[in-house]
Amino acid sequence: MASQPSAFDPAQYIRDEHVNRAAYTDPQLFAREMTHIFGRAWIYLAHDSELPVPGDYVVRHIGTQAVILTRDDDGAVQAIPNRCAHRGSTLCAFAKGHAPHGHQCPYHGWMFAADGTLKFVSNRANYEGVLANSDYNIERVAHVASYRGFIFGNLDPAAPPLVEFLGHMATAIDDLVDRSPTGEVKCSPYQLRHHYRGNWKMTFENVNDTIHPGFAHAASVVSAKHVAGEVGRENVVPGINMMMANGKPLSFFQELDMVTAPGGHSYIGGHMGMAYTPDAANAYQQALVALHGPEKASKVLGLDRHLMLLYPSSTWHARYQTIRIVRPIRHDLTEVIGYTFRLVGAPEETWVNAIEYCTGANSAASPVISDDLEIYERCLEGNGYGAREWIPMLRGLREDREATNAFTRSPSTSERFIRNQYAAWAEMMA
Amino acid sequence: MIAPALVAEVATFVADEARLLDDRDYTAWLALYAEDARYWVPVSTEQRTTTEGPMHFHDNKQLMMARTHRLMTPRAFGAEPSPRTCHVVSGTRIDALADDGEITASSSQIMLEWRARGHFEEDVRVFGGRVTHRLRRAATGGLIIAEKRIDLVNAEGSFNAMLAPL
Repeated sequence: MASQPSAFDPAQYIRDEHVNRAAYTDPQLFAREMTHIFGRAWIYLAHDSELPVPGDYVVRHIGTQAVILTRDDDGAVQAIPNRCAHRGSTLCAFAKGHAPHGHQCPYHGWMFAADGTLKFVSNRANYEGVLANSDYNIERVAHVASYRGFIFGNLDPAAPPLVEFLGHMATAIDDLVDRSPTGEVKCSPYQLRHHYRGNWKMTFENVNDTIHPGFAHAASVVSAKHVAGEVGRENVVPGINMMMANGKPLSFFQELDMVTAPGGHSYIGGHMGMAYTPDAANAYQQALVALHGPEKASKVLGLDRHLMLLYPSSTWHARYQTIRIVRPIRHDLTEVIGYTFRLVGAPEETWVNAIEYCTGANSAASPVISDDLEIYERCLEGNGYGAREWIPMLRGLREDREATNAFTRSPSTSERFIRNQYAAWAEMMA
Repeated sequence: MIAPALVAEVATFVADEARLLDDRDYTAWLALYAEDARYWVPVSTEQRTTTEGPMHFHDNKQLMMARTHRLMTPRAFGAEPSPRTCHVVSGTRIDALADDGEITASSSQIMLEWRARGHFEEDVRVFGGRVTHRLRRAATGGLIIAEKRIDLVNAEGSFNAMLAPL
């Protein structure tokens, strides 16, 4: 009897709130994640302000695929894989640029429009009666859509609309844009990149884990307190405060809310405050009231959330105008790219705060991030051996506070956000 | 014409600063910096100021203190074992001499770094690029650092954990 192709059963990896360590160490599982998760979810790619005029392009990733996003002559953003339809060379060597006439392959000079239409074939006479240009267009990314200027792509022709994917999490993007006194946000041309030898899911399972900082980041808390002791608590700079924030008592994080939503998304309540001089805070507040009216302005300013995790590929910090893209490269190699946004019309201090947050939260040289990277790599190593295969994700299992169709509310100390990620994982991987 | 004695003094100063880092003598290293000093590593050679976007390092003296204190704390598992470094400093020259005596000097530097993490040769990394110092004359007569900017050749690149100051 011919053997049947074995069906994929998520229960092999997710069972009774436990995760099989193979989820972090198995290259074949990673390959399936690329087609089934990164091939199906909406992936944040770029912001409108990065492509201001027709011909502008950036190269970004959907899973392990590089895609070229180009502003076309009609002002629409087109997305195609960065791969020539002839022999397969990548078209763009640079991460961004201006190509008003299309993308030309460096190998044999074939040329493609922003939307992948083949415009030029070299030595056309050799192909007479052999090749029809229309058969060799580059296949477009199935869907490109934007929400308030943030551009997402989806490889799955059957994908639900972007707003459906975002669901309750659209409020986190609103949170970022509504903070601009002009309604406009602008992406910095400079990005901050780090990488680690570990699985992409490690970042998603770590950044809103409120128990690890008291341990993993203890040394930076101790060092920040040492500095506060030397210079006086009232004289410390914001960066030192940011390090000390990790030293808050666990009871603080127990009271703080975590919100999880279908699709693997989540966020937790804010806990870092906002550094402003009274003058700047006052001017900023007035500008927001002028734009939104007093009621909405106070709502916008009153919202305090920490990271929003948009599964599986980006984390959003509206209050500090920072987005991080998590880019899976191999099962054991991941890059994280930080983008900061200027709230156009806000005081310069807002921008400086955003830069400082991004630097502290995404630099490989950050005392906090370097601890996290060390942990990710230790987990990769440790999960490669030993008899115990199952990792418990049980913390806070009986502590949910409220459940609606749109979201569930739990203490921020809960591992519910990880269980929620694996629920989405199992659904997409099946 | 810049006095050769000043060029020599600056070159020695820049080399000695790097040596203090290699010796992990952070107390002496911090003492070379002015109270309002800035130490930064841009993510692009095009970044002109520290307010144009995020940076790999953007330290004032407090953050430098915290960073180096942490390297000496046994609880910093991420820095255990501590990195060992070796700076090679070359071609130090004075680029500008201001009327108030402020000196802008640049050098080419390479830093070898080793952390024993069990990854064999991969445990050795190389960092390098152009280092720019803005120096002032201290009341004691010696030089102090107002600003140190390090333009790594791969500034735009992606980095794994960086613990030792460059």
